[in-house]
Amino acid sequence: MDVKILMSGDRAISVQMGDEISLEVNRKVLMLHEELKKRPVEGIQEMVPTYASLMIHYHPEVIRLDTLIDEVRQRIDSMGDIAGTKKIIREVPILYGGETGPDLELCAQLENTTVEEIIRKHSSHDYYVYMLGFAPGHPYSARFEEPFSFKRRDTARVKIPARSVVVQLNLSDLIPFEQPCGWNIIGSTPLTICDYKKEDPFLVHAGEWIRYIPVTEKEYAEIRRADEAGTYQVRVHVEE
Amino acid sequence: MGILVKDPGPLTTVQDEGRFGYQQYGVTPSGPMDARAFHIANILVGNPQGEGALEITFKGPELQFDQDNVIAVTGGDMQPSINGERIPMYAAVAVHAGDVLKFGFAAGGGCRGYIAFAGGLDIPLVMESKSTLAAKKLGGYEGRALKQGDRIGFPAPKATLPGMEKRHCPLPVYPEDEVSLRVVLGPQEEAFSEEEQRKFFWYSSKVTNEFDRQGCRLEREVPVKHLKDGNIISDGIAFGSIQVPTTGQPFIMMADRQTVGGYTKIGTIITVDLPKIAQAKPGMRVRFIHVSMELAHLLYIRELEELKQLDQSLNS
Repeated sequence: MDVKILMSGDRAISVQMGDEISLEVNRKVLMLHEELKKRPVEGIQEMVPTYASLMIHYHPEVIRLDTLIDEVRQRIDSMGDIAGTKKIIREVPILYGGETGPDLELCAQLENTTVEEIIRKHSSHDYYVYMLGFAPGHPYSARFEEPFSFKRRDTARVKIPARSVVVQLNLSDLIPFEQPCGWNIIGSTPLTICDYKKEDPFLVHAGEWIRYIPVTEKEYAEIRRADEAGTYQVRVHVEE
Repeated sequence: MGILVKDPGPLTTVQDEGRFGYQQYGVTPSGPMDARAFHIANILVGNPQGEGALEITFKGPELQFDQDNVIAVTGGDMQPSINGERIPMYAAVAVHAGDVLKFGFAAGGGCRGYIAFAGGLDIPLVMESKSTLAAKKLGGYEGRALKQGDRIGFPAPKATLPGMEKRHCPLPVYPEDEVSLRVVLGPQEEAFSEEEQRKFFWYSSKVTNEFDRQGCRLEREVPVKHLKDGNIISDGIAFGSIQVPTTGQPFIMMADRQTVGGYTKIGTIITVDLPKIAQAKPGMRVRFIHVSMELAHLLYIRELEELKQLDQSLNS
């Protein structure tokens, strides 16, 4: 698909890099975002990368719309290959099942398999973070192997606790704040997903990968204490 | 010190210009619902236009001052009074230690107001902003709307300001029955046939009770029909975006909107008309008027110029 530039009111445009949810399209979105951060255009207020488009909020009193569009199109034309992208993986500890993962057994039933197999599938493939949205620090993430076959629950829960890890199909989200949710809760992470007190409040960022590391109840409690004390270091791998 | 909250009113929050640069992390910008009234309040008391102020809703709070300062009240008319005596709106007013500022209910058009304080409010910056996003316990006064007993300090109060007698400007008229909102098409106007787009502008809608800082649900006797359905791959959302889900009942995205969403957006209210919907009350009719992007930009730049001129005439 050709790049499409959509009008989102008189102070924003949405640069649509494709019309599907895919790693390739999302990487183009993030590349354009990087490019415009590296060589900023005067008059751009902020940018919001999403699955397939980059929203650009701009000041029409500083830059004319047609100038902005020309500049964005030039940047897209001069963008390099996406092949050289580094893979940044964040290890996110997770306690599966129990009180904080009440749907683990249901997931096994729905999948017609064992709890152990659900845990293996969830923790043995990395999840790609397409974007953050819905709530501060809330990742929309997906893996590309061995999807589950079940979707949402028949009825949504009115409230699920912060730090829940929820799943459906090939998707898995980390829940930063208490919220309503229709997905099955497979477990809980001891890490705070959005902490306003930190210099970087967000556990994961768009374009990164999440690797779920199963932990025991005891490890969960230890990590939780360290996280609250601000001494826990999230393990990050970088693969070329 | 500054102010003591004796009665917070239904919804009183600290807002500054907004929290920008964090939508990429899912953090909504917040900021004032009626930016024009908010900017004027700050200009009248000699503040930068985006300084932190109080946004009040339907009924203002009761505040006691324990320090002299200059304030201005703008937005919808909630009959502000000091020690029982009415004070003018859209004017700088000197207040003294011990004074009590009180409000009534919003009468006539308009339901949101602003109280600006010379020198601003002593509120910590979170992600570079004083704005409150109460739904996510972020910013403002402890991440929430004000409560009885809260105290907020004045970092730089002024007993008086130069040219007090000139510090006033005309009151806006907020419509009471029907509001016309100018709209530019997009981002997903192509999800609707040209005839449906025309109908969108032809038939009016009603403001429902489902109206808060996040957004405003409208009800149409004639729902908007999609070519297929109301779903898209989630993309970014601007202030004033008119979302149309598959039900065909529009939802206007306001200051505390989500940063991304998966419903088609047929059009976006132009910036200069956002105060009109921010001040609308449930039950009012809404009519959309299609305008060009050129006109939207012209009006926006003219409004910025007007505010700048007001600022220069009072504060330089």
